[in-house]
Amino acid sequence: MEKLQLIINSIRKGKNLPELEDITPEMNLRSDLEFTSFDLAELTVKIEDEFDVDIFEDGLVNTIGEIIVKLGK
Amino acid sequence: MMFLFDNEQKYDYDGVLRLLNTKTNYYPYFKTTDVYYYFVNMLKALVASKPLVLLDSDINPFEIEGLDESKINVAECISSSFFHNMEEVVSAVQNSKSEITIFTSGTTGQPKKVVHNIQTLTRTVRIGDKYKGQIWAYAYNPTHMAGLQVFFQAFENQNTLVNVFNKPREYVYRQIIEKGITHISATPTFYRLLLPFEQSYDGVVRVTLGGEKSDPRLYDSITKIFPNAKINNVYASTEAGSLFASKGDCFQIPEAIKDKFKIFDDELLIHKSLLGYSDSFKFIDDYYHSGDLIEWVNEAEGLFRFKSRKNELVNVGGYKVNPSEVEDVIMGIDGIKQAMVYGKANSILGNVLCADLVLEFGVVLTELDIKKFLATQLQDYKVPRRIKFVEELSLTRTGKMKRL
Repeated sequence: MEKLQLIINSIRKGKNLPELEDITPEMNLRSDLEFTSFDLAELTVKIEDEFDVDIFEDGLVNTIGEIIVKLGK
Repeated sequence: MMFLFDNEQKYDYDGVLRLLNTKTNYYPYFKTTDVYYYFVNMLKALVASKPLVLLDSDINPFEIEGLDESKINVAECISSSFFHNMEEVVSAVQNSKSEITIFTSGTTGQPKKVVHNIQTLTRTVRIGDKYKGQIWAYAYNPTHMAGLQVFFQAFENQNTLVNVFNKPREYVYRQIIEKGITHISATPTFYRLLLPFEQSYDGVVRVTLGGEKSDPRLYDSITKIFPNAKINNVYASTEAGSLFASKGDCFQIPEAIKDKFKIFDDELLIHKSLLGYSDSFKFIDDYYHSGDLIEWVNEAEGLFRFKSRKNELVNVGGYKVNPSEVEDVIMGIDGIKQAMVYGKANSILGNVLCADLVLEFGVVLTELDIKKFLATQLQDYKVPRRIKFVEELSLTRTGKMKRL
């Protein structure tokens, strides 16, 4: 969760958005985190670097909780 | 009849007509985020046969060689014709003598100008009663070739456009229902962002994909979301406009322009008569080397498939990025010794742009520092999304920079 938060905040900083102090499973990547397709692509690459999992490989994920499930597999 | 929905704004064709009849100026170099005024300005130029340079709203003037910043958003007076109705406007657009300049990420250096006329831009536009009443999701950048294709197809039939470019998934779905969208033309990336399948939308009857290679799994999902839609692909390029539509998983060269293509070493060559004009085009015996490698499925019927690209342009969500242009800008940062920019396969964008950098001894730079600087120099899609600092770059045996 901490590593995921670091990754998410590194993407938000790159877009001049404030860092999040907390992330919760129900947060939506697009509406709550304000991620575009380019941001989601960056997220997948960085998660792949860190965890060796392509979270979008078999269909799109919408929430932080869904990412955590994929990483737990 | 409604012309455009953009966010909460709506604009009808009567308003467009009124503006065209009353405006006494236009902007030859117009940079705006307002898509309505962008379209009206383009129409104003076209009906008066005046030249127009299409600039992305986030472009930095120094990204383009020879672009005079002082000309941007400076109005020019224009003699005005009076139009009684939109049919007269459409006819004036079709007969326009305007030169329309757009930009292509050439294979070297900065983006190159390509000058088109209305004929190359509207080559595949179909007009007629069966095209009336269509409501289009407008999902492309309006300054790029695909966006122009959709605009003219819709405009010349006085269809309605609903701007969904760069909009989130929920917004797109809401527009499909509220505005009764019937036609969508977009990149595979756009459709991927509509996943996963949650419910079907029966009103959409046509779905077109363009701009990058798509995959069969995406087709399956699109069929579920839009069960009544015919799905097709288009091949369009900044250089030549729209050329082929798909037949199944292949493309077909239309009979009428069959003699305008050749295949050499698997590469698709396009006759110069199909292209816009650019100083950067190089022709060999009047044919332009497209860089697209294809394989015949049925040569007699002109059926083929795309295999890959010959040059090093990276397709990022439908945008073509020239890695050497980005490397040149990165090398302008103090403390960078070497840079390599490349595409990495990605399930959302097709490719995501990455950079490996070698810093000079003792220099401290972060990914954020680099990104912030590049954001002031380059359009967003050209900024690498993963920046790695490495000890050394991998070189090929010939000593050339290796692109992965």
